[in-house]
Amino acid sequence: MIDRARVATRLGARKVTRKFGPVVANDRVDLTVAPGTIHAIVGGNGAGKSTLMRILQGVDSPDEGGVVLDDVPVRLAGPADAFARGIGMVHQEFMLAPNLTLLENLILAREPIGAGGLIDWRAAQAQADRLAALAGVALDWRLKVADAPVHQRQILEILRLLYRGADVLILDEPTAVLAPAQVAELIGLMRRLKSEGRTILFISHKLDEVMNVADAITVMRAGRVVATTIPAQTNKAQLAQWMVGEPVDFRNRAPAPRPHGDPLFSTRRLVARDGRGLRRLGPIDLELFPGEVVGIAGVAGNGQDELVACAAGLGSIVEGALSFAGADFTRATAARFRAAGIGYLSADRAEEGLCLAASVCDNFVAGREQDAAFSRAGLLRRRAINLGAERALEKLSVRYGRLTDAIRSLSGGNQQRVVIARELERRPKLLVAAQPTRGVDIAGIAFIHAQIATFRDSGGAVLLVSEELDEILELSDRIVGLYRGQITGQLLRSEASVEKVGRLMLGQKAA
Amino acid sequence: MIDPFIHAALLMTTPILLAAIGGLVNRVGGLVNIGLESMMLAGALVAVAVSAATGSALVALAAAVLVGALIGLAMSLVVTRLQANEIIVGLGFGVAVAGLVRFILKSAYGVSGTFNPPGVAMLPRLAIPYLSDIPVLGAIVSGQDGLTWFAWAMVPATAFFLQRTRAGLRLRATGAAEATVRAVGLSPLNIRDASTAFAGAMAGLAGAHLSIGVVGLFNEGIIGGRGFIALAAFYFGRNAPWRTALGALLFGLFDAAQIRLQGHGAPAELVQMLPYVIVIVVLTGLGLADRGRPSRRSL
Amino acid sequence: MGAAILPIFSRAAGVAAPFVLAVAIGAIVLAATGHEPLGVYQLMASEAFGGERRIAATLTAATPLLLTGLAAAVAFRSGIFNVGAEGCFYLGGMVAALLGFALAEWPPILVVPVALAGAAIVGGLWLIGPGILRARLGVDEVVTTLMLNFIAIDLTSWLVNGPLLVRGSANSATAPIAAGAELPRLLPPTTLHLGFVISLALVVLYGFWSRLAVAGFRSRLVGLNARFSRAVGIDVPATFLRMMVLSGLIGGLAGGIHALGLVHRFVAGFSPGYGFTGIAIALLGRNSAIGIFLAAIVFGALSSAGATMQLFSDVPIEIVGIMQGVVMIFAVAKLGFGQARAARA
Repeated sequence: MIDRARVATRLGARKVTRKFGPVVANDRVDLTVAPGTIHAIVGGNGAGKSTLMRILQGVDSPDEGGVVLDDVPVRLAGPADAFARGIGMVHQEFMLAPNLTLLENLILAREPIGAGGLIDWRAAQAQADRLAALAGVALDWRLKVADAPVHQRQILEILRLLYRGADVLILDEPTAVLAPAQVAELIGLMRRLKSEGRTILFISHKLDEVMNVADAITVMRAGRVVATTIPAQTNKAQLAQWMVGEPVDFRNRAPAPRPHGDPLFSTRRLVARDGRGLRRLGPIDLELFPGEVVGIAGVAGNGQDELVACAAGLGSIVEGALSFAGADFTRATAARFRAAGIGYLSADRAEEGLCLAASVCDNFVAGREQDAAFSRAGLLRRRAINLGAERALEKLSVRYGRLTDAIRSLSGGNQQRVVIARELERRPKLLVAAQPTRGVDIAGIAFIHAQIATFRDSGGAVLLVSEELDEILELSDRIVGLYRGQITGQLLRSEASVEKVGRLMLGQKAA
Repeated sequence: MIDPFIHAALLMTTPILLAAIGGLVNRVGGLVNIGLESMMLAGALVAVAVSAATGSALVALAAAVLVGALIGLAMSLVVTRLQANEIIVGLGFGVAVAGLVRFILKSAYGVSGTFNPPGVAMLPRLAIPYLSDIPVLGAIVSGQDGLTWFAWAMVPATAFFLQRTRAGLRLRATGAAEATVRAVGLSPLNIRDASTAFAGAMAGLAGAHLSIGVVGLFNEGIIGGRGFIALAAFYFGRNAPWRTALGALLFGLFDAAQIRLQGHGAPAELVQMLPYVIVIVVLTGLGLADRGRPSRRSL
Repeated sequence: MGAAILPIFSRAAGVAAPFVLAVAIGAIVLAATGHEPLGVYQLMASEAFGGERRIAATLTAATPLLLTGLAAAVAFRSGIFNVGAEGCFYLGGMVAALLGFALAEWPPILVVPVALAGAAIVGGLWLIGPGILRARLGVDEVVTTLMLNFIAIDLTSWLVNGPLLVRGSANSATAPIAAGAELPRLLPPTTLHLGFVISLALVVLYGFWSRLAVAGFRSRLVGLNARFSRAVGIDVPATFLRMMVLSGLIGGLAGGIHALGLVHRFVAGFSPGYGFTGIAIALLGRNSAIGIFLAAIVFGALSSAGATMQLFSDVPIEIVGIMQGVVMIFAVAKLGFGQARAARA
């Protein structure tokens, strides 16, 4: 009988290699996670972390090498098999049924059965309370998942793994959707679980957290393990350098000139609702001036989506007013917004920023097909469109095959460049950028940031909404905090720090 | 004067209610069943044929259930395993089964349109001795057939099933979050297929009620669009069994009213049109009520 | 070169597969009821394409399907699930027949366009309701247009049996249209009429429109991704409404052509489901002009062969209905040939 607490490798990988066509997602990866520890895996987009996790979880299998469990090489037949052996994973997109309550989601597929084959709700609630106490959290079990705040859903995901008997927990970017204080709560939970003897493998690119909580750190880049270390023997700068491969400068942009003149965009007591009719934003007063980047700092679900939608002309305004370039735009259509000079980089690239089923060229010209340059008498001028597309895509160094290729064949970074090309070609005065570098590789991120900075330098205004605090800190001239739909305060670039911004995000004064 | 009307209204509600319950359960599981009409049609024919052949209404019902469930399962498999669009598949089954039914009538029985074999055993009506004399109440409870009782019993049964049983919970999860259900180790497609088979079974019963419960023979137009009216009922009910039953009852009332009005000189076709108009009115009303929540695709 | 061939092959296989299945299932049904499948199919083929007259009959049968298929395609392409072409067909047919009778005094060169225009307009008007309901309230158009079919059929039936019944004419039919209102025959003594050419021309026009017109481009984007289209400034509700009405116009026109070209009056039971068959045609043809044309020919062949086949064998014409239903069912199934997505992606 194996004593799990005494093995050297509770979960690991030995020379795991996985290829997708010409792309080597994992290249002879070695990983050793000791039992009862918290092990962090760090790396940028495209480093191969997700692929490795899928293999460890049994969803995918390696081309070479294998998974090790309790010092023994194993072949995982699938996620159910992995789960039976105690390995469970919390994904970035939660696997919860929105129409069911937290409790119902907890017990789904492992429902305690009482008299007559019916669900024993009393036993279920007892189990739920026990797990919540164990984790040191309080959840409202009767809430429907759709109505529950994001961090509660995440805790539920973790509790569900425990409920089903997982012993090794794999957490994929768990703090991506949390504010700093909520992160502290999650880290507390992780430490409590560790003290119980569970093993945690967590993926992150937030180096502060990693240094704070991990017992061991593995750094990946371009499919390979480039370093394995412990916090005591390294620091953030070193980790960052391993991740990127070259020295990374954390604070390197010159401060922008102070904004002046009339505001380009402003809201007055603006109130907006979400897709389900609930008031999520407002009343807020916000102003944007030409030549500045205003970053909205807030945890997902605090009104940013609604603010972005209103700014792009796609929102549901309930009260208040919104004006642009001196004119009232409260009831204007998206078309009018765009015609007036507002560009939009959607957070949801796949469903809103792009039409994946359409070609590269179509995605570029979409919305401008009736422009004088591109059409005549209701008919498209294909040659003009193609020429315009080629030039614009060239300016943004988009890598694509032919204009007629389906855009879904491009990488995430290149897809986003097409979106930016489309929006910037219209010469907007204001750019609404929501999660502009989501799903983009490191080089692409730098490029996009440079584009945004150049746009600002040439007099454009940018409304930036991002879950990456680093991105907000790096790009913004002014940071505005948003919490529960209200503006909590403002920080200028020169006075901003992670702690201050974190407080803004949680509704506390920036002081 | 009103008693016969109430009695008729309940009678007309039964097939709609049966099919609507089936459609409701199906929709909770994530599939909108446009093919209920075809399953009802098959059930109606099979019930008449088997009833005449065996002399037993009960065996006929069993056969209708079986046939309905099989068609439901077939339709579901095309949708779940071949990832086909459920609306088109539903319509396609409607066309195919209607053709098949007429084909069989001609080929196997040598009749065209109407099938009236001798010796059809009808569903017995259950008279309740003392209650039958009470006005209104008597009309409601006495003299209905077993299927009508069954249909109404299914309403609370379905509500109970959805909320309190394991299978009900899993069904609700499947309709809203297929990936989640798969992630916890269940098979959402199997669950969905089972719900469609159930819907087919209920629709088969509904068709059987029309043929051996009311009319006594089979005619290719016997279903008369009630499969689509059941659809409207469960749209109206929005996944809630009692609301769905209310919708079915509403349409049953109209169905009964339609027959009455015809006898009084009102133009037949205009009255026949009423249920369909009601469906549109109901949907419009729901749309207006939903205005605060612009998320559509509630399919 | 090989790489270019394979996708075309895949697509062709994907489109052919539902037919193959329909043939197979039809064969099973035939065999199970004591008929000989191979012989039946041979008879069907020769009835459909054997000789000039048979081909003309096939084209005649395909004529209404070209436009009902087009009506469905125009809507599906924009993301509108309009299943109400049947109702428009009825209404259009009735209006054209009435005008063709009432305007007997007018010169033929005027009567025909006016009657056809009336047919189209009534079809378009009929679908404004569901169009607005979808555009403004997000009400699902499948159920509303489906219901409107039944309402239209009952409505026209009432009109033709009651208020519009002309003394001396048979029950459930309007009076025959004036000779000048009839669409000229192309190939007497066959019944192939000018309507075929008109319908074909419209399908071809659609082919060009979908590729070259701004409206064609926009409606395609809306059909692929309505949310994206809205974000780039396209007026999505207006597009929905326009395409729905356009679909109705075409459906109504289809009925008008049928009335003026073939039936020469309006009768109860005017359409044996042309509108629903049109749905299958649009799906099989993947909403493309060529696809619609080919699918309409095939279905026309099935239906004309089935009709005459009844005279020579005891196979009920319903075998055609069964096959059509099977084609519809599998037209949207992913049979593993890498097909394009169905109408609703």
